[in-house]
Amino acid sequence: MTPRTNAHRLVTQVLAGEVCAPRGDRFGYRVDGGGRAFLLPGMGGVTLGVRVGDPATGHAADHLEPGLSVWHPDPAADHALQFLACVGNEVTVLGGRRPTGRVLGQHAYVLVDLADADDVAPGDRVALRARGQGLRLLDHPDVVVKNLDPDLLPHLPVDTAPDGRLRVSVTARVAPSAVGAGTGMASEFANTDLMGAPDVRIGDLVALLDQDHRFGRGHRAGHVAIGAISTGDCRLFGHGPGPTTLFTGPAEAFELVDDPTANIGVGW
Amino acid sequence: MSALVRTTLLGEVETPRLGPEPYLVDRDGAPYVPTATGGVVLGLRLGDGVFDVDGDHAAPGVTLVHPDPAACHALTAFACLGNEAVVRTGDARGATGRVLGKREGRVIAVFPQEVLARMLPADQVVIRAHGQGAAARGGVTALNIDPGVLAALDVGSVRARVPSHLVGNGFGRPAHQWDLDVQVDRADAAHWRLGDLLCLDDVDVRHNAGHREGWLTMAVLVHASSPLPGHGPGAMPVLCGPASAFTVRVDPTGHAGLTPELLGCPDA
Repeated sequence: MTPRTNAHRLVTQVLAGEVCAPRGDRFGYRVDGGGRAFLLPGMGGVTLGVRVGDPATGHAADHLEPGLSVWHPDPAADHALQFLACVGNEVTVLGGRRPTGRVLGQHAYVLVDLADADDVAPGDRVALRARGQGLRLLDHPDVVVKNLDPDLLPHLPVDTAPDGRLRVSVTARVAPSAVGAGTGMASEFANTDLMGAPDVRIGDLVALLDQDHRFGRGHRAGHVAIGAISTGDCRLFGHGPGPTTLFTGPAEAFELVDDPTANIGVGW
Repeated sequence: MSALVRTTLLGEVETPRLGPEPYLVDRDGAPYVPTATGGVVLGLRLGDGVFDVDGDHAAPGVTLVHPDPAACHALTAFACLGNEAVVRTGDARGATGRVLGKREGRVIAVFPQEVLARMLPADQVVIRAHGQGAAARGGVTALNIDPGVLAALDVGSVRARVPSHLVGNGFGRPAHQWDLDVQVDRADAAHWRLGDLLCLDDVDVRHNAGHREGWLTMAVLVHASSPLPGHGPGAMPVLCGPASAFTVRVDPTGHAGLTPELLGCPDA
């Protein structure tokens, strides 16, 4: 059974953003963990050919951000956009055929999964219907939910187990030694880069063991953070495909079920 | 072997800054007002315990920045532990101190207490930078340390060994410009002191900091603890190589590490 929530108390706030142009510098190259120089696409802009459900790795890319990378050029408006956007929120590209997509996760930008992205270019404005921060699971007081659109929850492999724990299916359980860049940052922003990540797809639900993401991302023995993979290939050392946090709490509040099909795209 | 080049850098003592709301949120969800985060910090000295004060990332002495962001990156990248720091303006003009380390985009420099008492935010300080670019010896890379100090430091003795999963903020970042925060509690690390050497197991910092089995990073504690999740006492890497290249002796009680005398800055 889908857990009971306070979704009826959550309102929608319409946010504006724009597709951010990919950024470079005149020196071009960056350096990988083996000391080799590389120059690859990945962050920012419109990235075609990789969508929710596709493999996160295997691409010639660095910090692969699937779909649209959205920000706001005003720093305070950008903070609001990054912190309030939730996985599953509807996004409309303003212009052309007005295609709509969904937020698939956060990185340094809000990432948007969009079927009809061929006509979208950097600089295009988007409208985002933000709803989800403040969501609570009424029968799971120890579990903190964040970055999740309440309308996506019934489509996720998440329910209340007979013993009262929150049962969540995940494709992988990740040891704390894999946690790289992103630790120490707010858990409503960006994601947790995994070093030596398991074989995952964009949108896969994964459990990070011994991680507490209630008030930011950090290590805490006996806690769990569960998220959906939002970024793919990374060549920078200490980085890797990473999940946007959705649920976190003490390990005993969860029943984890291993399921290779656990992916947010099931309910897309 | 190429000779190291000396450069003269200009920094200024950081002006502490806060947003319109003074509170941050600690790892247990409690709000706190961050204190002693940069600028001129009195009452904390090299050799003090990293849990002796209730600040946030408090470092002994002063932190140095440059108002131009690119120049600040260069200042942080090239300043090395042990480099001479000369006050160029203000009431302490002409006084000398030493670079202790760096922390996320700023340099930490220590001075004799009577000099520190005369320093103010925005005082200019010249750094005589020397050390980056040192050739690897015996498979071990040196970084962030003046060759003269490295030669005098007993790098076989450490206060503690740290498993890589406790490294928080700093993973995925360039270790030539950044320290590694260790996610420990007072109960684990009340005996750690500023200036101590730590051995970070399975950590490679040569081309960004990250997890690599079988590699070691030796790092010097340069700032005290932080209540933020994913943060903690900060250790600046100075040596990195395969574990087989090191003989590590853990000495929880007798370890001396980097003393003011060894640094050439008595009464720091």
